[in-house]
Amino acid sequence: MFTRMSDIDRMFGAMDLLRNKMDSIFDGYNRSYLYGPAFTLTSNSPRTNLLENGDTFEVQAEVPGISKDDLNIKIQGNYLEISGKRSLDIPDGYKVHRNERGTTTFFRSFTLRDDIDSEKVEAALKDGILYLTLPKSETAKPRQITIN
Amino acid sequence: MSERKDIASKEEKAVEKTRKLISATPAVDIYENDDEILLHADMPGVVKENISINIDNGTLSLSAVRRFNNKGVSNWEEFSDVEYIRRFSIPQSIDIELVKAELKDGVLKLHLPKSDAAKPKMIEIKAA
Repeated sequence: MFTRMSDIDRMFGAMDLLRNKMDSIFDGYNRSYLYGPAFTLTSNSPRTNLLENGDTFEVQAEVPGISKDDLNIKIQGNYLEISGKRSLDIPDGYKVHRNERGTTTFFRSFTLRDDIDSEKVEAALKDGILYLTLPKSETAKPRQITIN
Repeated sequence: MSERKDIASKEEKAVEKTRKLISATPAVDIYENDDEILLHADMPGVVKENISINIDNGTLSLSAVRRFNNKGVSNWEEFSDVEYIRRFSIPQSIDIELVKAELKDGVLKLHLPKSDAAKPKMIEIKAA
């Protein structure tokens, strides 16, 4: 019986090995999708993060080489829209050897879980990343009801 | 009798997994004119203290690390901490002393000037 047990143990050991192998395959798959150059999503739009922190949302977007004049942010209720265009500053009189950073116009829209107080939204552009701080509106916040 | 054995070994489950820094390839544009080779690389979120540019024996290596200090619960995450790595072969005619780099809006611009010997020269024909 106990020799059988060790057989089972070995079998699960093999499965662990397989699982690790599979994990590393998907690790690599993830990497090419998530950590490749910017603008590699199928829609050719920047990658974003959404963080929720108590009563604010924070949206981050990778927008390398895009000046703030080329970015548009629209907010209505719980709807957020980021659009913009990326133009390349190809210097005059240079031959092009390689061109991986394409020009593009992009558009991404999000429906957030709660309404946003559009008056208090802050946007910052730093090192090619757009940071949006979106406070939830007062009506979306939970309210304590006191009992009379 | 013999010692007791668990059916499934749990050795890996209890180990704390730290998030490893994933390496990525930055997208680059390369331009050239008579005086220099110009390289533009997209590295959003990288600060200039975390970039290292090495030129050694005809190889240019770029390496840059970006780290976020994110607080709060992430609803989705399409990008994260990353190390940008890329290597290029460059011709020996680059004047390494005069290489300049600038970083603006997450784009690294690297100027690699050609040494005088490599620049095209106009030969004037003298009248005999």
